[in-house]
Amino acid sequence: MISKKVILTGSFGVGKTSLFNQFIYSRFSDKYLTTIGVKVNKKVISIEGKELSILLWDIAGEVSQDKVPVSYFLGASGIIYVFDLTRPTTFKNIETDLDYLKGLLPNSSVKIVGNKKDLLSEEEIEEVLKTIGNKCHITTSAKTGENVNELFLELGKELL
Amino acid sequence: MQQGYMNDIEKQTFQDEILLSKLREILLKEDRAALHTVQEVLDDPEKLSNRISPIIEHRLDILKQNFPEEYERIVTGIIEKKIKDSQDDLLDVIYPVLGKMIRKYVNQQFQVLKDNIDGRIANTFSSKSIIGRLRALVFGVRDSELLLSNLDSAVIEEVYVIERDSGILMGSYSRNSTIDKEVIAGMLTAIKSFVEDAFQREREDLELIQYGTYKILIQNFHTYYIAIALGGTLSSSEKAKLSTLILDFAEKELKLGKKHHEGYLDYEISEKLQTYFTAKLST
Ligand SMILES: Nc1nc2c(ncn2[C@@H]2O[C@H](COP(=O)(O)OP(=O)(O)OP(=O)(O)O)[C@@H](O)[C@H]2O)c(=O)[nH]1
Ligand SMILES: [Mg+2]
Repeated sequence: MISKKVILTGSFGVGKTSLFNQFIYSRFSDKYLTTIGVKVNKKVISIEGKELSILLWDIAGEVSQDKVPVSYFLGASGIIYVFDLTRPTTFKNIETDLDYLKGLLPNSSVKIVGNKKDLLSEEEIEEVLKTIGNKCHITTSAKTGENVNELFLELGKELL
Repeated sequence: MQQGYMNDIEKQTFQDEILLSKLREILLKEDRAALHTVQEVLDDPEKLSNRISPIIEHRLDILKQNFPEEYERIVTGIIEKKIKDSQDDLLDVIYPVLGKMIRKYVNQQFQVLKDNIDGRIANTFSSKSIIGRLRALVFGVRDSELLLSNLDSAVIEEVYVIERDSGILMGSYSRNSTIDKEVIAGMLTAIKSFVEDAFQREREDLELIQYGTYKILIQNFHTYYIAIALGGTLSSSEKAKLSTLILDFAEKELKLGKKHHEGYLDYEISEKLQTYFTAKLST
């Protein structure tokens, strides 16, 4: 079996830990416990008959990515950049953040994720996505679980 | 008895007395002169300093040379107490910034420091180590073998070879495998990154994690690191020797180039670990 390091990163409170918990344990909590440092867990997914072990790093949120210790990013094959669809401050740095991450990990696959879609209507979501130049790959809800497994499957395919 | 009459014995005593008093006079004269000289030296600060300085310097030299042996116990005692007393102050400053994990780590580090101090005193007099050394002298037993036979209190539970950047497990040895080694390897790497980053230590690496009597020793290499999980107690000298053992293993068995395994668990590494550690631990 092949193992790949995947990081969950983005501003604080956007729902990285919630996506992590939904993906690994299929559970959600309304409580907000900010992540200190980083947490790692694993899930094996199967893609077209092949097994992939995803080592998922849930990284503490920072307002901009250059504030995150570089060592958390090193060796990552996949980057999941999460923002909160309801809070513009969480996607205002999207461009510089991604440039920075791509600079550090030029060979990685990147997924840009708009989370908390359960809080907005379809129209509102469309509006938000337009303001960031349709860069977003997928919108998710860690609360309802919508698109969470899909996100990891899509990324997984790129990693194999 | 008539006055003025002396027998021979009395005459002799009398003469002796005269001689003695003359002698006393001479001696006292010298004493007085000496006393005068001493007085002069004492009264003149410059003369006094000239006399005393070399003596003090000489004493200081002796003290400098023998300080560690003569005063180590006292000084380490004081340092130990100081650290203990100010531990909370230190932690209070650090805690809000670095969080719970660091608090634990710092606590453990203080414990290690304390153990080292205790250990250094104890080791000097440990009969076990003296007998061990004698045995080595007589039978020519090698140091590392001696160590392993002495490791009866510490048990190697797991050995991991982990890719340094990604934290992906490259190979492992385990006595009884119950935990998910890949997750352990990842989390270990994350903790390592966290601690190393939090302390802003360039070129310094986390080398020990301790949880109760459970320890994880870490030996860093360029593209990977080796972590050994141990149960039981391990002295600082045993620890040092164990790390030599790991270096030896890495040098002989792990010749990894960069991008050697690309995320695959390397069964060859696991096999080598198994062979090496089973052999070493059964001697
Ligand atoms: N309604 C809704 N709430 C969410 C969703 N995802 C997360 N939340 C809530 O948002 C808050 C923050 O979520 P976390 O997952 O802790 O956020 P984080 O990105 O890990 O935050 P940091 O660890 O501080 O960087 C929590 O109260 C969650 O319950 C979502 O999809 N929908
Ligand atoms: Mg979090």
